[in-house]
Amino acid sequence: MTGAPVVFVVDDDPSVRSSLKRLISTVGLQVESFESADTFLQRKPPDAPSCLVLDVRLRGLSGLDFQRELAARNIRIPIVFITGHGDIPMTVKAMKAGAIEFLTKPFRDQDLLDAVRIALERDQSRHEQEKELTDVKQRFNSLTPREQEVISMVVSGMLNKQIADQLGTAENTVKVHRSRAMEKMHAQSVAELVKMIEKLKNSSEKTP
Amino acid sequence: MPDLHATAERRQHIEKRWLAAFESSAIGIAMADLAGRFLEANSVFRNMLGYTESELYQLNYLDVTYEEDRNTNLELARELVEGKRQHFQIEKRYCRKDGTLVWVRNNVALVPGTGGVAPLLFAVIEDITRRKEEESARRYTEEKYRLIVETAPDAVICVDESSTILLTNPASTRVFGYDPAELIGKPLTILMPEFLRKLHEAGFKRYLATGQRHINWQGTELTGLRKNGQEFPVEVSFGELIKDGHPVFTGFIRDISERKQAEEIQKQAQKAIQTMHAELARVSRFTTMGELAASIAHEVNQPLTAVNNNSNACLRLLANQNLQPDVLRGALEEIVADGMRASAIIARIRAFIKKEPVGKNRLDVNQVIGEVLTMTGHGFEENRIVLKSELAQSLPPVLGDRVQLQQVLLNLIMNGTEAMSMVTDRPRLLCVQSRIDESSDVLIAVCDSGTGLGLEADRVFDPFFTTKVNGMGMGLSISRSLIEGHGGRLWATPNSPHGAVFSFTLPVAGGSPS
Repeated sequence: MTGAPVVFVVDDDPSVRSSLKRLISTVGLQVESFESADTFLQRKPPDAPSCLVLDVRLRGLSGLDFQRELAARNIRIPIVFITGHGDIPMTVKAMKAGAIEFLTKPFRDQDLLDAVRIALERDQSRHEQEKELTDVKQRFNSLTPREQEVISMVVSGMLNKQIADQLGTAENTVKVHRSRAMEKMHAQSVAELVKMIEKLKNSSEKTP
Repeated sequence: MPDLHATAERRQHIEKRWLAAFESSAIGIAMADLAGRFLEANSVFRNMLGYTESELYQLNYLDVTYEEDRNTNLELARELVEGKRQHFQIEKRYCRKDGTLVWVRNNVALVPGTGGVAPLLFAVIEDITRRKEEESARRYTEEKYRLIVETAPDAVICVDESSTILLTNPASTRVFGYDPAELIGKPLTILMPEFLRKLHEAGFKRYLATGQRHINWQGTELTGLRKNGQEFPVEVSFGELIKDGHPVFTGFIRDISERKQAEEIQKQAQKAIQTMHAELARVSRFTTMGELAASIAHEVNQPLTAVNNNSNACLRLLANQNLQPDVLRGALEEIVADGMRASAIIARIRAFIKKEPVGKNRLDVNQVIGEVLTMTGHGFEENRIVLKSELAQSLPPVLGDRVQLQQVLLNLIMNGTEAMSMVTDRPRLLCVQSRIDESSDVLIAVCDSGTGLGLEADRVFDPFFTTKVNGMGMGLSISRSLIEGHGGRLWATPNSPHGAVFSFTLPVAGGSPS
């Protein structure tokens, strides 16, 4: 996750598409444009913060259908909708489904660029969170089974002695496992370790 | 000294001659004594009654006179015998031997007695049965006509050649308000308003002089004048009859005020309906245009958005002193292109709603279809509708109002589009066809694969019937009347396996191509 942010523009109108690309490029952002939802889906997800500027009315899959489709595929890219004429129910639907902004053509350039900036920031922080989680996961996976066992018991609030009793081993052995696991997890304190394990639990609950 | 022999011979001769004349007369002759008993009767009379000579001489004339006529006859005979009259005439009925009746006219005279010869009644009898029958028939006919004239609802008025009223019927009083006595002897013009009198007099004179009729004698609409001064519409028929060498005109005059009133009311109602329909058609046109507006707005918005974006991009690049000529040129070129595109769209809309000269022109149906499809094109993509057009090549032109035909087509296409909006399990297919049908009319059909008409098929053309939440229910009703106004038909049939087909025909324009 080190690449520069990318803005994806999906609009079936070539001149709108091209003008959007040019406008967004003026603030130094990288822009890729697509004429349909399908062509966008064929592109590999970038290893960088990104967002989608999406026309509601598209040939084939409509913008709102596309938003649903992305959610179903667990692609959580922030979306800025643009539309020729948006009615209130359509706007509400898009915003409820997590859209960043819903702009009616022709829109003020600053409104679009602001929305894009917010979308990228949100994606950036989401990426950071995801990266952190991946790190924790990786570190946790690097523990031996015994270390994982010990850590789980520590996080649940057991004392070293209780752990040793339950595992049928010496208290000193438990201490060694515990300190090595803390080190591997880059945890400065038990409190920090508890937070890390909570995160892991939450993420595994979300994606079983 | 008279020659006695010669005189006797002569008398004998005369008697013979009289006897022969008596017997062979073409008319019945009979003699009776003063009491009425038959003394002599010739064969005509005997045959008239069917009695033989000997039978007859046994009878009194009263015996063979019909009961009802006896008293009159007896009275007249008494007067004759009493010397009150020399002779009399009577029309009476005899009873024949076979019981049937015969009408006769009797001229009866009293022959005074002379020298030993008793006075007698001498009768000449003419069989008038035929005349009596004819009279009776004529009386019946006359009575019949009198009844018809008197009970006729129309005024019947007879005038003579000076246009003076001779006769009126009771209806005349009802129609004109005059009693017969007030009319008879007056000029016919009394029943006419001032402006017609001179015309009538001139026309009447001309007819009498030349025999030329200046108006239709059977059912001419004129104006009548009532006694109270009110003018009213009448329908007049005339007949002419020559009586004793002079013409008599009979007029039948019908008061048609009510009929005229009803016609006027109907005319006004018709006009009101037409006005209302035209107004609805106008409203519906705006509604259809309103539905189109969304599509048009989107079309115009696209290039405007691109122009805005590119312009803003240029401004930003300039503000940042980022003057890359390629980028700026690219943006400006696109601005120009999008400006052209926007004006092209507007030109298309203009062409679409442009004012055609009022009335019908020779039109290429396929061209009209093409115009409408261009306008609705975006709606198809948006609704994921596959459009198919199957247009017959080289169709003959039709005589039509472009805007009205566009409106009908738009209405049918939008209905089809809406009918497919809920369809998810099959392709949304809209097919527009044109061809020549069996009657050599141009046929245009709009087929969809939507929900179909179901049981409502018959009602979709009714005014204010709608299956749409926001529908006014006038589209198809107006479309049908527009097409009928073109001499065509508009109808619906189910499409197979799903949806509906709306078809209409337009007669081919006659004459040479313009």
